[in-house]
Amino acid sequence: MNPVENIVEVTVFTAEMFVVLSPILFLSFGIVLALLLIAWQRSQKMIAVFSQVILVFTLLLSIHLLSGNILSGEGVQITTLLKVDQFSYLSLSLLCLSALAVVSLSGQALKSQIEVHDEYYLLILLVTLGAAILVASDHFASMFLGFELLSISLVGLVGYFREHKYAVEAGFKYLILSATASSFMLLGIAFIYSQTGNLSFAVNSAAMSWSPVPLQLFNSVGILLFFSGIAFKLSLAPFHFWAPDVYEGAPTPITLLMATVSKVAMFTVLIKCCFSQGYYNNEYFIDVIIIVALLSMFVGNTLALKQQNIKRLIAYSSIAHFGYLLIILLISSEQSIDFAWQSALFYLSAYILANISIFTIVLAYEKQLSQNGQERDVRIDDWQSMFWHRRTEAVLLVVSILSLAGIPLTMGFIGKFYLLNQAVISQSWWLVSGLVIGSGIGLAYYLPIIFTVFKPSEKNMLKSHHPKGVLVARPRIFITLLIIISFYLGVFPDSFSQYIM
Amino acid sequence: MMLTFIIFGLLLSGSIAWVTDNKVFAGIKFQAKWVSLLSVLALGSCFLLLVYFSNQNFQQLQLFERVSWISSLNIDYALALDTLSITLIVLTFILAVVCILVSWEEIQEKSGFYYFNLLATFSGVIGVFSAVDMFLFFFFWEVMLIPMTAIIAIWGHENRYFAAIKFFIFTQVSSLLMLVAIIAMAYIHQQQTGVMSFYYQDWLMLDIKIGVAQYLMLGFFIAFAVKLPSVPFHSWLPDAHTQAPTAGSVLLAGILLKTGAYGLIRFVIFLFPQASENFAPIAATLAVISILYGAKMAFAQSDFKRLVAYSSISHMGFVMLAIFSFNEIAYQGAIVTMVAHGLSSAALFSLAGMIYQRIHSRNLNDMGGFWQSAPRMGGFGLAFAAAAFGLPGLANFVGEFLSLVGAFQVFPIMVVFASLGLIGSAIYGMLLFQKTFQGVPLKQVQDLSVREFFICGSLLGLLVVLGFYPNIILGYAFGVFA
Repeated sequence: MNPVENIVEVTVFTAEMFVVLSPILFLSFGIVLALLLIAWQRSQKMIAVFSQVILVFTLLLSIHLLSGNILSGEGVQITTLLKVDQFSYLSLSLLCLSALAVVSLSGQALKSQIEVHDEYYLLILLVTLGAAILVASDHFASMFLGFELLSISLVGLVGYFREHKYAVEAGFKYLILSATASSFMLLGIAFIYSQTGNLSFAVNSAAMSWSPVPLQLFNSVGILLFFSGIAFKLSLAPFHFWAPDVYEGAPTPITLLMATVSKVAMFTVLIKCCFSQGYYNNEYFIDVIIIVALLSMFVGNTLALKQQNIKRLIAYSSIAHFGYLLIILLISSEQSIDFAWQSALFYLSAYILANISIFTIVLAYEKQLSQNGQERDVRIDDWQSMFWHRRTEAVLLVVSILSLAGIPLTMGFIGKFYLLNQAVISQSWWLVSGLVIGSGIGLAYYLPIIFTVFKPSEKNMLKSHHPKGVLVARPRIFITLLIIISFYLGVFPDSFSQYIM
Repeated sequence: MMLTFIIFGLLLSGSIAWVTDNKVFAGIKFQAKWVSLLSVLALGSCFLLLVYFSNQNFQQLQLFERVSWISSLNIDYALALDTLSITLIVLTFILAVVCILVSWEEIQEKSGFYYFNLLATFSGVIGVFSAVDMFLFFFFWEVMLIPMTAIIAIWGHENRYFAAIKFFIFTQVSSLLMLVAIIAMAYIHQQQTGVMSFYYQDWLMLDIKIGVAQYLMLGFFIAFAVKLPSVPFHSWLPDAHTQAPTAGSVLLAGILLKTGAYGLIRFVIFLFPQASENFAPIAATLAVISILYGAKMAFAQSDFKRLVAYSSISHMGFVMLAIFSFNEIAYQGAIVTMVAHGLSSAALFSLAGMIYQRIHSRNLNDMGGFWQSAPRMGGFGLAFAAAAFGLPGLANFVGEFLSLVGAFQVFPIMVVFASLGLIGSAIYGMLLFQKTFQGVPLKQVQDLSVREFFICGSLLGLLVVLGFYPNIILGYAFGVFA
């Protein structure tokens, strides 16, 4: 019996599919228009506004689809390649939101340069498109397509400021490692294909009992290689070596892009693939996940301890956070899939929100440093006594650090609560202890940041370090909004999770 | 509604104190200390009125609010009171006033934000004492930590960052263990009844297998033992107490340690009666070790606040020993000890703060002969040291006596050792008094001001009243054991 026959061939493109796919279609259409716009007139302001408009509309479209009934239940299959449900669209909304933040924050980073930066915005849109394809994919081929689109555009962005000290190094590192990752992944996919004869996620490889035992090994190796490809992108230990260097070398908005869009999309597709393939029944795979998760929690948290550079610190902390998130993959049964998605998306949104907030402040300080004639990264010391001079920014920073540390009143705590729920239900006590110890170590580097923010200013420190009124009105409203959102969702998580129920 | 109003009223008045500090409105210069003092007094009387007029039998938990909060996980916002929590909340309000008064002149910098943190901690503590939804309890449990850490880290002494981080990590990691246990309980509830529940009263009905209950109890126990603190989880306490500003130490020793004891009684004992009875010998051993170790370490200190901090470990050992003895006399002893220790350690830390303000040192070797120049302060010092070593006539004596009498029926040998702690406390108590107030006068110090006299006088008054008439708080009947 050939499993291929079990798959219903869906080739007809109905109106419903068109509607469901509209955000991604709109995004692609927008990219084409952006290309034309560049050909017509090169203006940075115009393309910045244009890409913001595109992202806002994509966001609105996906939220509109989320609030409708069209996605509820099983989701909509669009050819064999794509399948969207409410979870993938919620993830898409998160992606658009973070891309929007990146685009909005890029303006100040790009001002210091002389050229017109049309390509920069175009590449961000392409990254978003790649991510959108990833979260919608239901097939290894479409997944790979999205994966490559995302990686290649990111390589261009990482090395974008080519005259910067680390730009070329970071770009090369990212290029070579993501090429390695994709070849690992391709080989893995080939192995999986050799056994299932099909590339669709929906073909349950765990249920393939017809193959002889030697072939089972192929399948396991295939899954392992596939997972390691994704782990490269998620910078999970032991595939994390590139992350701090690339985070540091990339332009700061692009670091944010990597920390949010790329990771969220990769994680979504990982969950999607694991759940529909039923990997949670595979004992070997579970062991691998547990080891990788524990390693990531440990490595990420301990290496972050001594970091002074904020971008490196965030890189390490994100290693740990994705280690925690792997808990999601260990569900005990099919019934808990919905809850697992809910937990994952909540955690991811908390993570995204915290990252956007922190990078907003990093960028503000970077700009100020460059105004003082210093072209360097922001260090923790630069934030000393921020609370007493720039109250609003400091509150935002403290809230988002607390959120990353998972302290109540913030979204991060609810996210951590969801993860612990997940881990207790699946009875993975190793991961529970990893999470508890990891958060303990994590506090040892999150708290000093907060203390630095509260430290009184020293006498010899120039007042010009925190001049008042540097920030104009618009970001201040944005910052206040971020503070309110993070508190509100931290205290009333229901208002968010109703979208996923 | 009223209870919520009190909890959030504290938070709100804290914010008001912060915003209006040193600003002039309508010709009146607002000061954070006045705003916070008045609001604590007002809300405290609100609480007393609420209890007095509610006409309920507080021997059992009386539910005050229950509103759905996070419906996807069946989490409620639920508050309830019984005599135990009422006693502790009243203690919180009394010490809140003390905290504000001891900070009156000590805190000059960033006072608005300071009082905000102080009031936020009170509001978290009152939340802890009244929450009956376990998620809400955990929420308050953590929320009270953040402003407390801020108080240590911003207004503390020379080594404050280290102390604050240590304090936070200890409590955070242990409370995450408790969170795991809480989630596991909710999940067990789901398995047994089909719905998740974080509601305390629902959990009392659960029938948990002893093997599982043992682990779950341990999760709760560790969190509360860290807070109490008990050996071997005590090492955060000397640092935090020493480095905190005066009000921070008063708050930590007077109230925050009591949340640990409260948790042991309300959650460990009541939710897992069988498991905690099995665990009692270990807990009692830890308690006795804490008593002796705390006394020994207190004797070896040359830092005033560190000495009092170690003595707290010793005293809270009595509480733990009593709690795990499972009889009514011991329980009442535990509760009286909690209140008495709250008052007496608050008094000693306030005294430490007053001395620090005068000589800018906490080192006992810099002190001596203060009686000569400040006899009133010396008198109070003697009385508070006497309270700490359990002089009859003061509240601590009643508490420790009842604890030991109750525990003797269960752990006779351990009580023999624990009683040695009383001798130890007399030694370090006298040491503290002698080094500070007797001997050759090193410096001239000013005697107590009216404000300081009021603080010390009212604390001593309460200690004496409770020492002679402990029936005020002995009314707590334990329905389960009676």
